[in-house]
Amino acid sequence: MIFENEREVVIRVRELAKSFGSHQIWESLSLDVHRGEILAIVGGSGQGKSVLMRVITGLVTPDSGVVTLFGQDAAALTPAARLEIEKRWGILFQDGALFSSLTVLQNIQVPMREHLELPQSMMDDLAFLKLTMVGLPPNAAHKHPSELSGGMRKRAGLARALALDPEIVFLDEPTAGLDPIGATEFDHLIHKLQQTLGLTVYMVTHDLDTIFTVCDRVAVLADKKIVRTGSPAELQNKPDHPWIEEYFCGERARAASPSEERLVIG
Amino acid sequence: MLKRDNQFVLQTETKAPGFRVELRGTTFRLVATGAWTVAEATVLDEELSRLKVPIPPTPDFTGEMDISGIAEIDTAGAWLLQRTASAWQRGGLRTRYAGATESFRILIEEVHRKGQAKRPEVEKVDPIQQLVDSTKNAVSSVWRDAVELTSFLGEVAAATVRQIREPWRFRTISFFHHLDHAGLRALPIIALICFLIGAVVMQQGVVQLTYFGAEPFAVNMVAILALREVGVLLTAIMVAGRSGSAFTAEIGSMKMREEIDAMRTLGIDPMDTLVMPRVAALVVALPLLTFMGDIAALAGGGLMAYLMLGIDPLNYVDKLHEIISLNHFMAGMVKTPFAAIIIALVGCLEGLRVEGSAESLGTHVTSAVVKAIFLVICIDGIFAMFLAGVGV
Repeated sequence: MIFENEREVVIRVRELAKSFGSHQIWESLSLDVHRGEILAIVGGSGQGKSVLMRVITGLVTPDSGVVTLFGQDAAALTPAARLEIEKRWGILFQDGALFSSLTVLQNIQVPMREHLELPQSMMDDLAFLKLTMVGLPPNAAHKHPSELSGGMRKRAGLARALALDPEIVFLDEPTAGLDPIGATEFDHLIHKLQQTLGLTVYMVTHDLDTIFTVCDRVAVLADKKIVRTGSPAELQNKPDHPWIEEYFCGERARAASPSEERLVIG
Repeated sequence: MLKRDNQFVLQTETKAPGFRVELRGTTFRLVATGAWTVAEATVLDEELSRLKVPIPPTPDFTGEMDISGIAEIDTAGAWLLQRTASAWQRGGLRTRYAGATESFRILIEEVHRKGQAKRPEVEKVDPIQQLVDSTKNAVSSVWRDAVELTSFLGEVAAATVRQIREPWRFRTISFFHHLDHAGLRALPIIALICFLIGAVVMQQGVVQLTYFGAEPFAVNMVAILALREVGVLLTAIMVAGRSGSAFTAEIGSMKMREEIDAMRTLGIDPMDTLVMPRVAALVVALPLLTFMGDIAALAGGGLMAYLMLGIDPLNYVDKLHEIISLNHFMAGMVKTPFAAIIIALVGCLEGLRVEGSAESLGTHVTSAVVKAIFLVICIDGIFAMFLAGVGV
């Protein structure tokens, strides 16, 4: 277990490099994710925000660098140890990535069925509880993904990511493609679930509203590395980098930044 | 999962989950200990379901869930507690929690709030009704296919007439692109398949006809069969599988990405840009491919004739010259443009019928190939009867 300033570091990334063909996306990227925080990764398009999530979760192999998950070196894990770690996180892909042949309830049960031996009636009840916890209406339980709206698909995907009560959830652009009302509701949901389940949330996002309302810390990807991390307010008050200045002090950011303190969700 | 006081408990330190029920004064207490997590849920569920709901002797008895001994809890554990507490509540015991930390309390309250909703049952469908429905759908879809294909044929015919009157509408580059992909690039595989089938038919023919001492007539059989049926059918089936499916996939994925809608709004007719070049390319390519297929089948037969009957290639060509008349060749070739139109129409129409999902694309590609092959064989049968009728 790694600690830094009394906080447990659940994911540590050091000196990561990755190129696709002749295009190098990072040279030397380092990042820490602390337990219990909501961390947002921001950056211009093509900076490899989603790729970083894929590297951490093991879907993409980096060219060099070390990824440490819960204190263990990801490259040195045996398949069995890797599986144990995978059970400790859940991932919400951009459009939910629900299995189209299964109903919502069955989708949520997939991880339980795969990794645990629970009686069917209990899986049904637990999956339904998760479904209500992410704010889906009861009648969505037996629908197929194609019958749901984009926002509902994301909620269902989140319920599946939470099926095993993970410690970390990865969210890939959770509010992209949602209308402002839906996006705000989703922000509240993330915040509430984080509080309720004690989650560590790692999210890739562009959404300034999300950053200002729910995120504890922001990591900025630019110039082939993480150029800065800090709370949204710190970055806004002291940008120190042209991209951060443009992003956090631009017109949209001024509209999104909170007039009072951080939103309190009851 | 949540840990008590946010302390980090090592896995080995966490005690196995358990509980006991005791009566203290007028309070029934469920004392829970250990890790109440989803990994332990099966055991807990079993033991809790064996637990009887205490019956309060007088109304002033209360219940208490003492969770001060719980080291770890997650949604599954909270749900089990919630289920037990709700059962006690319904049994007439006012039940409360004791020993919860702040984070435990938030989770348990949330589970209590959300655990009240009733799970809807799966709607059961009567199997007989289902059988009737699916039969009805299958039959009506055949009729709908026939209507749509006919109307699409009409549209293509109208577009053809329009393009003859206004030739500048014809997409030459697209036409040659498809001619290359559906024609030239299909040549090696079609030639190979026809060559092999020609050889196989000759070999089988020689073996069977040897019983009657008529093995030299195997050459007649192969020559006529290759020109009238084998070359045409094999080529058409290969092209349906190769190019018909490609047409559906190309047009279907454009449909999925709304490219076709974009074309329409830009005043471009998908009929002109997508369908006509493909139909025209296939109408040109299929007769040429069939001709090559015929030659390859005859060559395959020739190889077998040399190996099994000792007929050398020059003799074989002489024999072919005697056997084959132009009629045989034409009887095969006349079918090819019709087969080409069928394959292209079915391919394009299925592509245009694709809806939003990737599944739908897959279904339509499959049905394009199946329908195209089926219709090609139907056409072949109709021609066989017709040609026999007119005595060719």
